[in-house]
Amino acid sequence: MTLTATSDTPVAPNTRLGAATQAVAAFFQHPWVAGIVRLSAVEDSLRLLHPMLSLTQPRARVVRIVHETADTKTFVLQPNALWHGRRTALAGQYVQLQLEINGRQVQRLYSISSTPGARCFAITVKRQPGGLVSHYLHAQVKVGDVWAVGQPEGSFVLPATLPPKLLLLSAGSGITPVMAMLKDLQARRYPGDVVFLHVCRNPGELIFAKRLQAIAAQYPELSVVTHFDDISGRFGPEALQLAVPDVAERSTYLCGPSGLMDAIHQHWQAQAYTAPLHSERFVAFPLLPSSAPGTPVNVSLASSGTQFVTQGNAPLLVQAENAGLNPKHGCRIGICRSCQCTKRSGTVENLQTGELSSAPNEAIRLCISVARSDVTLLL
Amino acid sequence: MSFAKPTHLSRDQIDTLGHELDAIRASVMNTLGQADVDHMRRMIAICRASEVGGRALLHFGVGPLSWVAGVLALANAKTLDNMEIGHNVMHGQYDWTGDPALNSQTFEWDIACDGEQWRHSHNVTHHTYTNILGKDRDLGYSLLRVTGAQRWKPRHWLQPIANLLLAMGFQYGVGSHDLELGKYKHGAIPKPVFKERLNRFLSKTAKQWFKDYALFPALALWSAPRVLAGNFCANLIRNLWTYVVIFCGHFTEGVSIYREEDTRNETRGDWYLRQLQGSSNLTGGRVFHIMTGHLSHQIEHHLFPDMPAHRYVEIAPQVQALCAKYGLFYNTGSLWKQYGTVLKRLFTHTLPPKPQTLGA
Repeated sequence: MTLTATSDTPVAPNTRLGAATQAVAAFFQHPWVAGIVRLSAVEDSLRLLHPMLSLTQPRARVVRIVHETADTKTFVLQPNALWHGRRTALAGQYVQLQLEINGRQVQRLYSISSTPGARCFAITVKRQPGGLVSHYLHAQVKVGDVWAVGQPEGSFVLPATLPPKLLLLSAGSGITPVMAMLKDLQARRYPGDVVFLHVCRNPGELIFAKRLQAIAAQYPELSVVTHFDDISGRFGPEALQLAVPDVAERSTYLCGPSGLMDAIHQHWQAQAYTAPLHSERFVAFPLLPSSAPGTPVNVSLASSGTQFVTQGNAPLLVQAENAGLNPKHGCRIGICRSCQCTKRSGTVENLQTGELSSAPNEAIRLCISVARSDVTLLL
Repeated sequence: MSFAKPTHLSRDQIDTLGHELDAIRASVMNTLGQADVDHMRRMIAICRASEVGGRALLHFGVGPLSWVAGVLALANAKTLDNMEIGHNVMHGQYDWTGDPALNSQTFEWDIACDGEQWRHSHNVTHHTYTNILGKDRDLGYSLLRVTGAQRWKPRHWLQPIANLLLAMGFQYGVGSHDLELGKYKHGAIPKPVFKERLNRFLSKTAKQWFKDYALFPALALWSAPRVLAGNFCANLIRNLWTYVVIFCGHFTEGVSIYREEDTRNETRGDWYLRQLQGSSNLTGGRVFHIMTGHLSHQIEHHLFPDMPAHRYVEIAPQVQALCAKYGLFYNTGSLWKQYGTVLKRLFTHTLPPKPQTLGA
C-alpha cells in the first residue's frame, strides 16, 4: 500500500469539549456570522491567547522527547479537544503532522507508536540522512512546541477478531506501527501465539529495546526475535523461514524498507502461503522524472475527474483551454494569481524563473507553469 | 499631463533592465523564510490585539479620552488589516508558506470591499494594466479626471467635492470598483452579471454596516451612541488614510500615463518599465511604511507585487540605483510633497482644457 498525504475528513468528535468546539466553529462559519466576525480572526486571537486553542484545527503539544537510539527519538504529544484519536485510533494507524520549517508548511505522515486510548500519543522518528523533516524534528523541536495534527488514518490495523497465530515483522523504523500493535495485543490480553521479529543493522540501532524486553518479560505468549544484519548477514526470506519455521500459518503484519517488503511479498506468492500478509509502506514524495520540455504528459484534474494530454510547449492554462476546459484566469502573465491552484503531484517548470519543482500540494499559477511530468491538479 | 513619451532606452537596454530587476527579485525570493512569516504573524497579532483593545475601550471606557484611544486603536487595527495584512496577503505574498490562514485566494478582510471582487479589480485589472488609460480603472476611479488625456465633462467642475467624498468613503469606492458601473450603463455588461456583482458588493457592505453600526452598538446597551460614533470615526480615519496613500502611489506629478496601443506586445522589460514609471513612493520611517502596508514603496510593489512587502525597504536602494543608471525618474518624496502634487493635479484637471488656439 502506498500512502500519500490525504485531506482529513471531518468526523464527529467523541468528547463533549470537542463537540462544543465544533458547534462554536459551525456558528462562526454561518454566512452571516462569517460576514461579521471572521473565523480566521477569531482563530488568530485564540492562538494569541494560547497556541493550543483552536476551533477548527486539531493541534498537539510536545510534552516529552525520549531518546530511543542514537538517531531515533520518540515525541510524546498531548492533543487538544479536537483530536478524537484517543477514542478512535487503532494500533497501526498514522497521523499527519503539519510542521512549519523555515516559514513553510510541511506535511508528513508518522505511525502512532503508542498504545491507542492513552491521553497522549507518540510518534517515533528516525533521523534520515538529508531528510528535511526528520532532521528538523531531531535538531529543532523542543518540549512545548505545538503542531497541527491530522486525525488517525490508515487501514494497516489488527482485525477485531484476532487470528490464532500472529507475526509482527518489521525492519528499521518500520517498527513503529507494529510496536503499537504489540502494545495493543498486550492490552487486549491476546491469548494467541505472537512472534515479534525485528530487523536492524546492530543492537545499537534497536528502537524500543527496553520496552520490548519489558513486554516480553510480562507476556509469555510473545517471542521476540531480533535479526542484526551486521552480525547475521542480510535478512531475507530464508532467514525469515529459519527464524519463524511456522511462518506459513501466521497472519503477518509487515512494515519496513521497500526492498525487504518486496522480497517478502514475492516469497509469499512463490510459496503460495494462504495466511494473510498485511503491509504498509510510507513513501516520501517521489522525485518524479522530469521529461524534456514539450513531451506530451497527462494532466489529471482531481476535483472534476477529467484529464487530458498536453501538446507542445504551452503553459498549463493554454493546454487546459485547448482541451476544452475553462479554468479561472486573469492576467496570463503571472501577476494576478487568479489561475492559481494546488498541484497535488508532478513536476512543473516556472516559466518566469526557470525553476523546476516536484513538491506535492504546492500552489502553482497555470499561466506561467509548464508540465514536465504527469501532473495532478486540484481543479 | 499627456501620454508617456516613447522611452529613450534601446531594446537591449530594456531587456537588460528586465534581467537586472529579475535578479533583484530572485535575491529576495530565494531567501524567504521564517523571518518573513514571523513578521506577518506579528502584524496579525498587533492588529487583533488592537481591535479587541479598541472595541473594549469604546464599549466599557468612560469619558472622552478612552473614546479617542478606542477610536485610534480600532482605526489602527482596521488600517493594518486593510494595508499591511489584507492587501499583501491577497497579493499572494505569503502563498509560498502553504499556511491556509495566509492564502491569497481565500483571505477575506474587514472592509466593505468583497475579497473576490478586489482580487479581480486590483490584482487583475490594476496590476496588469497599470496606468493604461481606458484599461486601468484605478485611474481616477471612474470619478475623477487626473490627466489631460481624460475627456472633460461639466461634472468635473465638482471634482474637488467628489474627491473629498471619495476620500471619506474610500472603502465603498474600492468595493464598488469591480461593478464597472460605467460599462454596465453602456450596455457592455449583461444585466444578470451586473446584478450578481451588485449583490455581492451590497451583501458585504450590509454585513459591515450591521456589525459596526447595529450589532456592536446594540451590544453596548447604553453606550450605543459612543460605540456607533467610535466605529464611524475609526472607519473614516482608515478611509482617509488609505485614500491618501493610494492616491500618492499613482497620481503624483511625473507619473506616466500610457495609451493602450503603445503597450501591445509588451516584453517583460517593457512591463517593468511601465510599472516603474507609473508609480510613486513616499519617504518615511519603519512605522510609517508598515501603516501604509509598504505602499510607500509603490514602485517596488508594482515591480514585484507578490514579494513580501516588508522586503521592499531593502531593495528600494537597488531599484533607485538602477533608475539612476538608466536615466529613469524614481518618483519619491514626503507624504506632504507627494499629496500636494496630487491635489495640484486634481485641481488643474477640474478646469476644462484651454481651447486649442489655431496657429495665428
